[in-house]
Amino acid sequence: MTASVQARPRARRTLRPRFAPYLFSAPAVVLYVAFMLVPVGYAIWLSLRAYRLVGGGILGTRQDVFVGLENYVSVLTDPELLASLGRLAVYGLIAVPLTLGLALLFALMLDVPAVRAKRFARTAIFVPYAVPGVVAALLWGFMYLPSTSPFSYLTEAAGWGTIPFLENPTLFGSLANIAIWGGVGFNMIIIYTSLRGIPTELYESARLDGASEVQIALRVKVPLVMPAVVLTLVFSLIGTLQVYGEPATLQPMTRDISQTWAPLMTIYRDAFVTDDLPAAAASSTVLALGTVLISVLVLAIANRRRMEDAK
Amino acid sequence: MRSRSTAVVGLVSLTALLLSGCSSTGSGDGGPVTLEFWSWAPNTQELVDIWNEENPDIQVEYTDAGGGDDSAAKLLTANRAGNAPDLAAVEYTTLPSLIVSDVPLDITEYVEDVQDAYTEGTWAQTTFDGAVFGLPQDVGPMAMVYRSDRFEELGVEVPTTWEEFREAAAAVRAADPNTYIASLPPGELGFFAGVAAQAGSEWWAIEDGTWSVGIDDDESLEVADFFQSLADDDLISTEPLLTPEYNKKLNEGTILSWPSALWAPGVIESVAPETAGGWSMAPLPQWNEGDPAVAYQGGSAVIVTKASEHPEEAAEFAKWLNASDEGSELVLTKQNAYPAAIAGQELAAESDPPTLMPQQTDFYEIAADIASQTKPVIWGPNVNVAKSTFEDQLNKAVESGTPWRDAFTATADAVRDDMRETGYEVAGD
Repeated sequence: MTASVQARPRARRTLRPRFAPYLFSAPAVVLYVAFMLVPVGYAIWLSLRAYRLVGGGILGTRQDVFVGLENYVSVLTDPELLASLGRLAVYGLIAVPLTLGLALLFALMLDVPAVRAKRFARTAIFVPYAVPGVVAALLWGFMYLPSTSPFSYLTEAAGWGTIPFLENPTLFGSLANIAIWGGVGFNMIIIYTSLRGIPTELYESARLDGASEVQIALRVKVPLVMPAVVLTLVFSLIGTLQVYGEPATLQPMTRDISQTWAPLMTIYRDAFVTDDLPAAAASSTVLALGTVLISVLVLAIANRRRMEDAK
Repeated sequence: MRSRSTAVVGLVSLTALLLSGCSSTGSGDGGPVTLEFWSWAPNTQELVDIWNEENPDIQVEYTDAGGGDDSAAKLLTANRAGNAPDLAAVEYTTLPSLIVSDVPLDITEYVEDVQDAYTEGTWAQTTFDGAVFGLPQDVGPMAMVYRSDRFEELGVEVPTTWEEFREAAAAVRAADPNTYIASLPPGELGFFAGVAAQAGSEWWAIEDGTWSVGIDDDESLEVADFFQSLADDDLISTEPLLTPEYNKKLNEGTILSWPSALWAPGVIESVAPETAGGWSMAPLPQWNEGDPAVAYQGGSAVIVTKASEHPEEAAEFAKWLNASDEGSELVLTKQNAYPAAIAGQELAAESDPPTLMPQQTDFYEIAADIASQTKPVIWGPNVNVAKSTFEDQLNKAVESGTPWRDAFTATADAVRDDMRETGYEVAGD
C-alpha cells in the first residue's frame, strides 16, 4: 500500500522533467521551424540561384541554375538601392519623430487626471490604426489628388492654386502623413499602458514636493516610460524600412513614385513584375540583415544610456 | 458578390489541390473532365456557363485572376508551384516571357485546323518558330477615341496625321486653357511601342537565333522627340491614366481624346458612363500621310498550360471560345472586346456601335478598315523588364526635363543587358 503510493510520484518525477518541456515547447518549435526557419532558408537558397536560358527553340526556356553570390553583387552595386534607402531616410526623419512625439504627447495628456472623455479620446486616436493600410493610402490619395482634394479645393478657391501633394518634395510629407495618421494611435496605446503601470505614490510625492502636472510629466513620467518609447522607436524604424503599402498604392497616381521608390517595392517588382525571384530573394536577405542590424544598434544605444543613467 | 464567388472558387480549388496535389480534377478516362480557366475579361463567367451547358463532359471552372499583369505574375508563380490552371488568358506582350518560363504548351497539333479562322497577322501573334502557343481571343488595332462634341464646340478638326494632332492639340489649348487633347503618360509602354511600330520601328526582332532590340532605333527616337516636343510646349498632359484625377477630367470633358486601341470605348464607358454619346472613334493619326498601317495595342490570347492533364479538351474549349462563330460572337457582345477571329470581326461590322458612341453608326466599318491594315508586332521575352524600366526612366525624364530619347535608350540598354544575362544572343555583341 505505502509502496505503491510512493512509487507513483516517483514515476512522475522521472518522466516529467525528461519529456514534458519538449512536449510543451513542441508546437511553438514546430511552427517556428516550419513557418520561419524553413522559409528563411529557402529564400537564402533561392538567392544563390538565377533563371538562365537553357536549350534551343526560337525563345528557349529559362531554368534555374546556381550562380553563387552573383545576385548579391548586383543588389549591392545597384545605385537604386542606395537611392531608395536615401528616400526612406528622408521619409523616416519626418515620420518617426512625429509619430513618437505625438504618441507620447497624447499618452501624457490622456494620463492627466483632469482630462475628460478619456475613453472617447483614446478610441478616436486609436481608430486610424484599425483602418487597413491600403484603404488609408487610397483615402489619402483622394485627398491629395488635385481635382478630388478638399484641401486643394480650398486653396484654389482662395486663388493660390492647388497643393502639389504628390510631387517632390511635398511627396515625402504626404507619405509620412499617412504613416503618422495610422501609427500614432498604436504607439500611444503602448506608451499609455506603460504610464498606467507607474505606481501613483510617485506622483503623490512629486506633488508634495510642489511639482506641477507639466513637471511631473517631464521629470517623472517621461523617464519612466522611456523603455516603452524605445520599443516604439524600434517598431517605427522597422516599419520605415519595410514601408511598401502607401507608396505602392499611390504609385499609379503620380510620376514621382518610381517602381523602385522603396526597397520593398524593388523586391516586389523583381519577384512579380520582371520575374526575377532570385534577385528579390537576395534583396530581401540584405534588407532583413540591415533591419536586424539597425534594431540591435538602437537597442544597444538605448541600453547603454540607461546603464549610464543608473550610475 | 463577385469577390465572394472568386474567393469560394479559390477555396474550392485550394481544397481540391490539397486533396489531389494537382490542378486538374478529373475522374480519369471516360468520365467528365474539369478544367480550370483563368481570365479577366468582363462577363467571362457567362461564356463559361454556356459552354458548360453544352458540354457536360468538359466542365470549365472560371477564376478571375486579375488583369493582364497580375494574372501573368500569378500564372508564373502557380506554374512553379506545380498548380497552374489548365487554361489562362494572357496578353500578347507577356506571352513570350511565359513561353520562356515554360508555362504554355505547344498546341499546334490541336489547333492547326482553326488557323483559317484568323488573318495571318493575328495568327502570327501567338506563333513562334512555327509552334502555336495560344489562340488569339481579342485584338487591339490602334485607333483614337475622342470627344466629338467637345471638338466641335471648340472648333477643332479631327487630326489624321500626327502633325495635325499637334495643331489640334494647340487649338484645344488655345480654345480652352483648362483642357488637353490627351494625356500620354510614361506608364503606357504599349502606346509608345505601338506608335513606334507605326513609324516603322521593330522593338524586338529575331533572325538566325540572334535578337535585335530597336527601342532606341532612329524611328523610335524620333517618336520620342515628337511627343517630348508636345509635352514641352504644354500641348499634351503626361499625367497617369485612369486615376481618380484622370477619370474626373474625362467626366468633366477636360481630356478630349485617348489615342489607344479599339477596346478603349469599353474602358471609358466604365469610368465615365455619363459622357456616352459625346464620343467618336477615328483612325489613329498617321506618321506619313496616306500610310494607314497601325500596330496593335493590347489584346489577349488563351493558352493551354503544360501543367494541364487534359490538353486536348482544354484546346477544344479554347477553340470554341476564340475561333468558333459562337465564341467570337460572345467575345464581341459579352466581353465587349474586338474579336480576333475573322467571323467575330465580320459579325461586328453588322453590330450596333459601342454604347459610348451610339450615334457613330459606322464605328465597326471604320474598325474593320483599321483592322485590315495592321502590322504584326513581335514581342520579346522580357517586355516586363522594358515596361518597368521605360516607365521609371521616362517619368524621370519628364520630371527633370531631360530628353525623352534618353529614356528610350536606357530602356533599350536595360532590355539588352537583361537578355544577355539570361543567355540570349543579342545583336551588337
